[in-house]
This record gives sequence, C-alpha cells and structure tokens, in this order.
Amino acid sequence: MTAFAGTPALVRLGLRRDRVRLPVWIAAITASAAYYAAALDVAYPTIDELRAVVTFIQGPAGTLLTGPGYGLSDPSYPSVFAAVYGLYVLLAVAFMNVLLVVRHTRGDEESGRTELVRAGAVGALAPLAAVTVIAVAADVLLGLLVAVVLANGFPAGGAILFGASVTALGLAFAGVAAVIAQLTEHARAATGMASACVGAALVIRGAGDALAEHGSALSWFSPFAWAQQTRVFVDDRAWPLLLCLALAVLSIATAATLQARRDVGAGLLSSRPGRGEASAALSGPWTLALRLERSSLIAWTAGLTAAGVLYGALAESVQVSFADLPEDLLAILGGSSGRLLDGFLSVMAFFNATLASCYGIAAVHRLTSEEQSGRAELVLSTAVSRTTWMGAAIVAALVGALVQLFASGLGMALAVAAVLGDASRVLDIVAAHLLFLPAVAVVIAVAGLGFAVRPRWANAAWVLAGYAIFMGYFAPLFEPPRLALDLSPFEHVARMPLEEPRIAPLLGLLAVAAVVVGAGLVRFRRRDLTAST
Amino acid sequence: MSPVIDVTALSKSFGPVKALDRLDLTVEPGQVAAFLGPNGAGKSTTIRILLGLLRADSGEIRVLGQDPWDDAVALHRRLAYVPGDVTLWPNLTGGEAIDVLGRLRGGVDTARRDELIERFELDPRKKARTYSKGNRQKVALVAALAADVELYILDEPTSGLDPLMEAVFQEIVGELKAAGRTILLSSHILAEVEKLCDTVTIVRAGATVQAGRLSELRHLTRSSVGVQTVDAVAPLADHPGVHDFRTRDGRAEFSLDGEHAADVMRILADARITSIVSTPPSLEELFMRYYGSVDEPETEGARS
Repeated sequence: MTAFAGTPALVRLGLRRDRVRLPVWIAAITASAAYYAAALDVAYPTIDELRAVVTFIQGPAGTLLTGPGYGLSDPSYPSVFAAVYGLYVLLAVAFMNVLLVVRHTRGDEESGRTELVRAGAVGALAPLAAVTVIAVAADVLLGLLVAVVLANGFPAGGAILFGASVTALGLAFAGVAAVIAQLTEHARAATGMASACVGAALVIRGAGDALAEHGSALSWFSPFAWAQQTRVFVDDRAWPLLLCLALAVLSIATAATLQARRDVGAGLLSSRPGRGEASAALSGPWTLALRLERSSLIAWTAGLTAAGVLYGALAESVQVSFADLPEDLLAILGGSSGRLLDGFLSVMAFFNATLASCYGIAAVHRLTSEEQSGRAELVLSTAVSRTTWMGAAIVAALVGALVQLFASGLGMALAVAAVLGDASRVLDIVAAHLLFLPAVAVVIAVAGLGFAVRPRWANAAWVLAGYAIFMGYFAPLFEPPRLALDLSPFEHVARMPLEEPRIAPLLGLLAVAAVVVGAGLVRFRRRDLTAST
Repeated sequence: MSPVIDVTALSKSFGPVKALDRLDLTVEPGQVAAFLGPNGAGKSTTIRILLGLLRADSGEIRVLGQDPWDDAVALHRRLAYVPGDVTLWPNLTGGEAIDVLGRLRGGVDTARRDELIERFELDPRKKARTYSKGNRQKVALVAALAADVELYILDEPTSGLDPLMEAVFQEIVGELKAAGRTILLSSHILAEVEKLCDTVTIVRAGATVQAGRLSELRHLTRSSVGVQTVDAVAPLADHPGVHDFRTRDGRAEFSLDGEHAADVMRILADARITSIVSTPPSLEELFMRYYGSVDEPETEGARS
C-alpha cells in the first residue's frame, strides 16, 4: 500500500503540531459537559423545579435550540442534560473535527507544506489517512472522557451511549470536512463550506424536530438527529449512531477517491480567467475591504436568509401547538397563543443576530489573515493609513452584519406573513432584527480591539459571542445576577415583537462600540506590524 | 542635497532577539544603493522600519526628509515598495491587484502599467492564486515600478525571476536611474548588484560592516581561479591583484582582482593552460574573507 507510505510519521507530526490545540478542545468540551451535568441539580434541587423549567423548552422554539426532547415529559437530571445541553456538546465536537480536518488537509496543501511532505517518501493518501487517524483518536478519547465524567452521577449505560454519540458525530463531520477540503483550493473556503454544512444540519434537525414531537422525517436528514435519536438516558438505543459511522466511512472513502485523482494543490472547483484591470469601483481601501468580503458575505447572507425563511415558515405550527396548551399553562407562559408566537419570533431574531455577530467576527478576522500573509504590508506601504485600513475592515464587517440582519429578518417576516396570511408582523420582525445591530457592533468592536493588541487576539470576541449566546438561551433557566446579564450586549436589546423597543440602551451600546473601536484604532496605530517571514 | 535615506544607529529588538544593533544606512539622491547581507542580517527589518511598518527602538531615521513612523502616508505617496515574499489576494487577478495597489498609492498611469505588463510578459487576467512565485513578484514589480515616485525600495525583487526577466528588470532600473530616481535594492545576487548599483551597504548581525561606493569596494569582487598549466606559474604569487596564491599537485589556486585579470591571463596563457576554472566569489565567501573566522556561525533568529 504505497499510497499510505509515511502515514505513521505524519500522524506523529500532526499530533506534535496540535499538541496544545487538540488537548484544549478536548478538555474544554469534556469540562463543559461535566459542568452542565453538575450544574443542573445545583440550580434545580428538586424534580418539581426541574419540571417547571423544562416546560419552557418543550415548545417549538425550545425544540429548535435543543433537540427532539426525549424524556422531558417525565424529566430526570440525566434526561434533561441530554435533551437540553447535549446539542451544544455535539455542536462543539462537530466544529472541532471540521477545523482539525481542514487544517491538516487543505490548510497544509494551500500553504505548500503538503508539497514539501509529498516530495518525500510519502504516499498520495498518507496526509488524509494521517488526519483520519488523528480524528479517530481524538474523537474516541473525547467520547471516553465525556462518558467517564457523565457516569459520575448519571447511569453508566446512558453515559457511555452519550460518549459514543459524541465520537460518532465527530467522525461524521470529520468525513464531511474531508470531502469538502477536496473541492476548494482554499482552506478558508473549505472551513466556511464545512461550517455551513454543520449549520445546515443544525437547522434541518431543528426544523424537523419542531414539526413533530420527537422529530419528523425531515430530522433524519441531519447527523445531529442521528446522535440525538439515541434517546440517551430515556430509552437507550445505539443503532442511529451507525448512520453517523456510515457517513464517516463513506465520506472518507469519497475524499480518498477524489484525492487520488487530482493534482496536489488543485481543487475540483476550478477557477476561470478574470478581468485584466480592476473595475472603477475597486478604487480605495473601503471598496477593497468590501470586495475581499464579497464571497463570504454572499454565502452567509444566503444561509441566514434561508434560516429566517425556515423559522418564519414554522410560525403556523408554533401557533397551533401553543393553541393546544391548557388555559392555565398559557397564562403562566404569558397569555395568548399570538403572544407566545411573538415570543418564538423574538427568540429566533436573537438567534439570527448571534449568527450575524459570528459573521462580524469572521470578517474582522480577515485583518489577521491579511497581516499574517504579508498582504497588509503591501497595502500599508502605499498611501493608506493604518487607521483607514483597519477602519475599512470594521466598517465592512458592520455593513455585512447589517445586510444579514436585514436579510434574515425580511426572510422570516415574509415567511410568517405567507403562512399566517397576515402581514401585520412584517415591520416588527424586520425591526426586531435590526435592533440587534448595536449589540453586534459591540462584538465586532471587541474583535477589532483584540486584533489591534495582537493579531490573533481578534479571537477574544468569540468568548463574548459565546457568553452572549449562553446568556440569551439559558439565563431564563439559571436566573443569573443582573450584572452577569448586563455583560452580554444582546441583553440590552428589547426582544421585539414581544417587547416594545427601547432606544436609550441601543445608544449606550453604540457608544460602547464607538469607544472600543476608537481604542482599537489608536492601539493599532502604535504597534509593529507582524512580519510574514 | 540631503540624503534620501538617512539612518544612524538604528536598533530594534523582537523580545530578547536583537535584530538591529546600531545600523547605519545612507542613500544619496539619484543613487542606486545595494543593501547586502546574509539571511537574518536585518535587511528586511530595516526596510520595514523605513516604511513605518515597524517602530525603531532607537536611532535617527529620515526617509525623503520625513519620519517614516509619524508621516507614513505622506511618505508612501513618494515611494514604492516590492516585498521579498509577495502574497496577493488569491481571488483577485494580477491586473486587479496592480490597479488596486496603484490606486491606493494615489493613481495609476495606465500606459506605463501596460508597458510594464508587456515587458514582464505577465498575464494579468489570471487569479493570483494560480501565479508562481515569479509571477507574483512580477505583479508587485509592475505595481511599484509603474508608480511615478522619488524612491523605490526593492527587497530581493528578482529572487523568483528567470534570467530573461532579470535582464528586463535591470534594464528598467537603469532607465529609472537615468531619470534621476533613487533606488534601494536589497539583493543576494552580486552580479546584479555590480551591474546596477553605485553604492553598497553590507550588514551582518544587525550592524553595518561595510559601506561605500562600489568602485572603492572593487576588491570585494575577487574571483577564485584554479588553473593547470604545463609550465610553472610560481612568480604569479607576487603579481599585483593576485591573493592567497597556493599550489597543489601542479595546480595553482588564487584569488584575482577583476582589474588585473587581463595581465594575469596573459601570463597564464604563456605558461600553456591545460584547464582553467574561474568562479566569481559568492557573497558568503566575501563575508568570510572580510570578517575573519570561517567557523563563526551566522546569527540566527533575527528576521530576514
């Protein structure tokens, strides 16, 4: 098998290169699983309290954000953990695998490292085989660790099954990423497309599960559903995980076939000759920044619009499901079924806004890659000031985020109007999305300040975004102190159409964003540019 | 007239690593100045400081009479730069990248740009990701050389070019020089430096070790000669321009200054040459000859 020659050496090289990154991922995911599991019975010392909280999650909005909801009708700590928090553990492992596989395949190939490696006595399939070995090792280890921490308090059988779902789902997305890495010439594009697949799988499962209790046929098109349909801690069954493993095996085999047929460095999606001169529009730092964001902006906007339409299209079934609830429960939850629909729509607007802020961070992160590749040096050696260069990227990120808030809001609004035959909510839904712009601006500003301190520190904004998402979804369950809520910019935004818009907090957020961006611009003006070599 | 580039006692550290240690560099208007040194000597660090991309720890720096850190934008309108390792935007074509860089500097002379694209035989319609190193370098060269500026800073601009394109580059630099422009050229290629440059500044381990007009540093460009002759050539040992003369197995080896080559060759021819090898000195040999100890390792860690 000369095609695999050199695989063991590449496995060791890969482990050496990831000796910090991979253990951090594994430890963080294990620790968060352990934390959620332990926090439940601290937050809700009795089953009755647990039952009260679970009611919030059983509606379609809760289902979209959690899972098919096995065991919620008769909740126990293990079943609530699996039903509510399990998805987030699975989501993290999916991203761990996507980033791992793309980094070690297309990332190395684009940078030219693969060329260097393949020039040695290394087979054509060795790099792919090596990353597969690393992914299997990491996912199995992670699954074991998760099973061990959960077994400390939860039934061992379910703990092992949940650990196995983590492993299986991770491998499924490792396979998906391996195929996508074959298609594009660029690691960035491959990561983007693979992340979009994770997002699509998430959305499909959410929509499918919202349509029927414990999931509908639509759910089964998503690997997340396969992992969640194991009915962990309720009615343990392992066979859905075989679908994950089958996807992993098939996709790795597909990737290997594609790999064996193409040139090193080439993608299957080839590029056409372009224009010989720049268009008149591409004339300065501002338009350059927008141009560089263009393809990523189009992809994100398409994705968010689709998500908006999908969630909007669920409006009718949401209203129907609420209408079925007994009167007294409706009263507890806040009144009429129309009011509850407003609640659902406001949660989904928040969801879209968090995605728009993720886009914003990714857009600011372009500054980091421009600097590290040396392109920033080329631009900053022309008559472009640092303030303009960085400012242009921040503005491009803001404009992109605004486009996405508007597009997802409009998509949701029109879908709601179509399924309910009632256009009265259109303006409110679009406004609900646009109101989040100041909060998104704060996240973008933090990414900018991080970059200005040190290129890689743009990533600090992910912590803020993660915190905001956590608070947005789980604050009603944990009832954290006011200060902890106030630290999330999204908590200052009124949740339309449920609440009336408040202008003052938005101005406050804008002021914070402006100050943080200003500090970033000043700081960037004062630091050395990192050299590319 | 004050110097175009005037650097005195420039120092810069990256953490514990001292990249530049009181480096001096002067370039007069209208000169083509070579900036030589081994990898890691601090050439690129110096250039990045001249461009205001890095901030000097200490030292006096004036470029075109301005401070490169404080007056970066105004200064950059008056100069053009080609980095040693060119990275372009993968999804822009070469032509788009040239125009963008030109417009960011203040405007593009399309006639001049088209002329350079033709002379460098560049296909501007290809996406930058499909370009080889040489073609990426051509893009940066066209973008910089098309600019109508007072100073051109070129960091190893020909390291990826084939010999034909190198000749085109030398021709264009000659034209710019004739037009009175100033050029700072960092290079490893001594032949190129000899052909193009008026002055040479040699740096090592972050400090200037030699600077002056090339004609004054003629002795730097000695060739090594190994020759086998029928008759003995022992008297050559004392001939002007011959250094380090030694014989081994009837074969003579020595270093030879270019200006005395004709006389020495005549003597060798009379001694009936059976074989002769002449090698121009590599930069490394020059350094070793110039700075003593052969065993001393080159300073690592400083950025190149």
